[in-house]
Amino acid sequence: MLAEIGLASLALALLLALYAAAVCLLGIRAGDETLLRSGRNAALLTFPAILLATAALVLALMTEQYQMSYVWSVTDPQTPAIYRFTALWGSQRGSLLFWSLLLSLFTFGAIALNWRGEARLMPYAIAAMMATLAFFLGLSLLLENPFERWWILPDMPEARQVVETALIPPGAIAPARENLAASATGLNPLLRHFGMIIHPPMLYLGFVGFTIPFAFALAALASGDLSTGWIKATRRWTLIAWVFLSLGLILGGRWAYDVLGWGGYWGWDPVENAAFLPWLVGTAFIHSVMIQEKRGMLKTWNMALVIATFSAVMFGTFATRSGVIESVHSFARSEVGFPMLAFWSLMTLIALILLLWRWQRGELRGERQFANLLSRETMFVLNNVIFMALFAAIFWGSFGLPIISELFIGVEVTIGPATFEFFVVPLFVAMYILMGIAPLSAWGSTSARRLGKAIAMPFSLTILSVLLLMMAGTGAAVSIFGYGVALFAGYVALFEIYRGARARHRGLNENWMRAVTALFRRNQRRYGGYIVHLGVTVIGIGVIGSTVFQTEAQHTLARGETLAIKDYGLRYDDFIRAQAVDGRMMNIAELTVLRNGAHVARIRPRVDDYPDMPMTIAGAHSTLENDFYVLLIGGNRERATFRIYINPLVNLVWWGGIVLIIGTVIAAYPKVVPARRVRKREAESPKQPGGVLL
Amino acid sequence: MTEITWAKPKYPRKAKGSERLKFLAGGGLILASVIYLLVSGTLQGARYFITVDDLLQDGAYRGKTVRISGAVDGESIEYDSENAIIRFEIVNIASEFDDLASALQAALADPAASRLSILVEDEAIPDLLQHEAQAILTGALEADGIFRASELLLKCPSRFEETSPEGLSAIPEHN
Repeated sequence: MLAEIGLASLALALLLALYAAAVCLLGIRAGDETLLRSGRNAALLTFPAILLATAALVLALMTEQYQMSYVWSVTDPQTPAIYRFTALWGSQRGSLLFWSLLLSLFTFGAIALNWRGEARLMPYAIAAMMATLAFFLGLSLLLENPFERWWILPDMPEARQVVETALIPPGAIAPARENLAASATGLNPLLRHFGMIIHPPMLYLGFVGFTIPFAFALAALASGDLSTGWIKATRRWTLIAWVFLSLGLILGGRWAYDVLGWGGYWGWDPVENAAFLPWLVGTAFIHSVMIQEKRGMLKTWNMALVIATFSAVMFGTFATRSGVIESVHSFARSEVGFPMLAFWSLMTLIALILLLWRWQRGELRGERQFANLLSRETMFVLNNVIFMALFAAIFWGSFGLPIISELFIGVEVTIGPATFEFFVVPLFVAMYILMGIAPLSAWGSTSARRLGKAIAMPFSLTILSVLLLMMAGTGAAVSIFGYGVALFAGYVALFEIYRGARARHRGLNENWMRAVTALFRRNQRRYGGYIVHLGVTVIGIGVIGSTVFQTEAQHTLARGETLAIKDYGLRYDDFIRAQAVDGRMMNIAELTVLRNGAHVARIRPRVDDYPDMPMTIAGAHSTLENDFYVLLIGGNRERATFRIYINPLVNLVWWGGIVLIIGTVIAAYPKVVPARRVRKREAESPKQPGGVLL
Repeated sequence: MTEITWAKPKYPRKAKGSERLKFLAGGGLILASVIYLLVSGTLQGARYFITVDDLLQDGAYRGKTVRISGAVDGESIEYDSENAIIRFEIVNIASEFDDLASALQAALADPAASRLSILVEDEAIPDLLQHEAQAILTGALEADGIFRASELLLKCPSRFEETSPEGLSAIPEHN
């Protein structure tokens, strides 16, 4: 019954999405308000329809309906309840449905919040969002159906008796539940981790979220309403998508760090890179869109960036889900590859044709031109150049070079992590320097003297910090330079917050606390942005510390023996074999971590025996200063072998991520305009709705 | 509904000729630097991704850093935990295949398929290093006939891909 409910609601959602897209386009052509409203309502209804389909699948997972082949493939009777739920995105079919659910949720929100304010853009935007949703629903129904079931066809030859279909074949008999339960595959052990519970949803929210700004940009291009309306309507959606994508990337790194057992968190794997590419273009867009809002410039460029972001999202989805890219992350090779490639090409082509059309008509011409090399707009453009260079380098290394070499010389040529680092390190250095200078320059023009004066204090603090690091004997000159560059960007952000608060403190006689609060409240985007910059500074310091200064060793210890490594000691106390509640056997080493001879922690690295593979789980003693990270390689009660990593400052990578999220939330938080100001606005513009969220 | 409200900007402020020249020169310099970075990095770090057969048959690849892929023979895996050294053998996989799991099985079942000894130093043994896994390795084939790998990537398609349940018996009514 659950399969029928799921299938019917999925089919209904597809019909609604197709209807909404078609009716909106017809309504625009005919200028018929009734058709447009009908299209809007159909689009809104896709969310409850897909929610019902998802609920049916979740219920099937929770109640162990193994006849549904998806449930059979990702869970077994030993799977704990939390992983039964998260199995929704544990494999291709469920995660595609989950993707559609999130897209319909975002679409619902975008329609509900913008229908009145952006009436001219909405029909086009709905058509674009619904076309994307219909594509993914079509994939779910036709190629990766999560509601297929196992059936036995007694009249068929033995080899073809067991079939997997969504609809009940004539003469089919349902297999016995106990047989299905006994052979159920269970969730891949690599996915049984906290990071994996929330990493995919965050990444999907980020990916899906960028559909909204893309749809509005397409609407602006199609409708000819090329004012900043589409930017204002999607500013917050862009930030929401960006923060989820950032969170997804950070959690993915955390999962790799905890689960993959190599002491690192970023391996320059093509699928990791495919998720990083939309983040780079999206970040460039978030910055450059400010120039259009403030100075009326870069209109074509902003359109190109938002198209590129969506295109990168679609390409990343294709790279991950088609299985054609060699990666540890990919889903199994699937039939969705070609349709995804076709959809990606089609949407990008439509958007580029519209962009070229508007551009050659001169409708995207900027209102000003760049007049000063040190102006803020020039700095922002340089920032965009750096992000696009990072994009080009990572795309080239991950996809461009292998594809082109295969085409032209018949052999695939690839590059490794060292070459990726060769590409990106100088570009990231340039990015941090610009992150420091750009906020200090002014719109329009800035004199070198004025800029130098603004830089003086943060630069002095940077020099002081660098000298202190040198006196403390912090490694090689190159790493101290790296710390200096990251710190400079952070000091600028802090100094700008201080300057703003000081102006209020002096000018308005506010106390410091109130001055800072009022500063953030009055200009959320600017000061939220500085907090994001602080987060990126913290991440940068963490990355330098954990990669340049990592210590790695492997030793075999007898029971009771202590290994000295740097100022740490590691004592092997015991080895236990225990059974977990889900039936797996765990081989656990009991270790004591000492520092300068004093006991600081007990850690338990372990190896879990799953039916198909072992799973190594690290034991770690974490402080802000470093992670003492230990893997159990093997052994018995008398002797065991351990691999030990000391990762300095690695926790700053995660803490920096949290600061970045806080900053984005401040920047994107809806501002409720007081009723007095709303009344004033209504008087100025009679069409403005009563309550406004800015 | 589709009324156009956009108006052409009146008089865009133009940059002076000298400023424009500075922008063009700066832009050109940045572009040239990025291209130089990409070209020099690619030339230094490029690795051919070839099959075990290509590596063994073409002497030009010997001693050069290349990337290869092969099916892991589970019985050959040895791990010296004291010295963190992994040794195993991989078998050539057909360059064209529809299903990776089947291609790996076929490769290991073929007694005539080329085999290559692998040595990986200073590594913890990966959980996925198992029979019928696909190993993607970066390294060089040395004069002793052993491929010394500096990077090891593993995929176990048979464990991720869905198969069909076996040994099913029917129940008389539908669920």
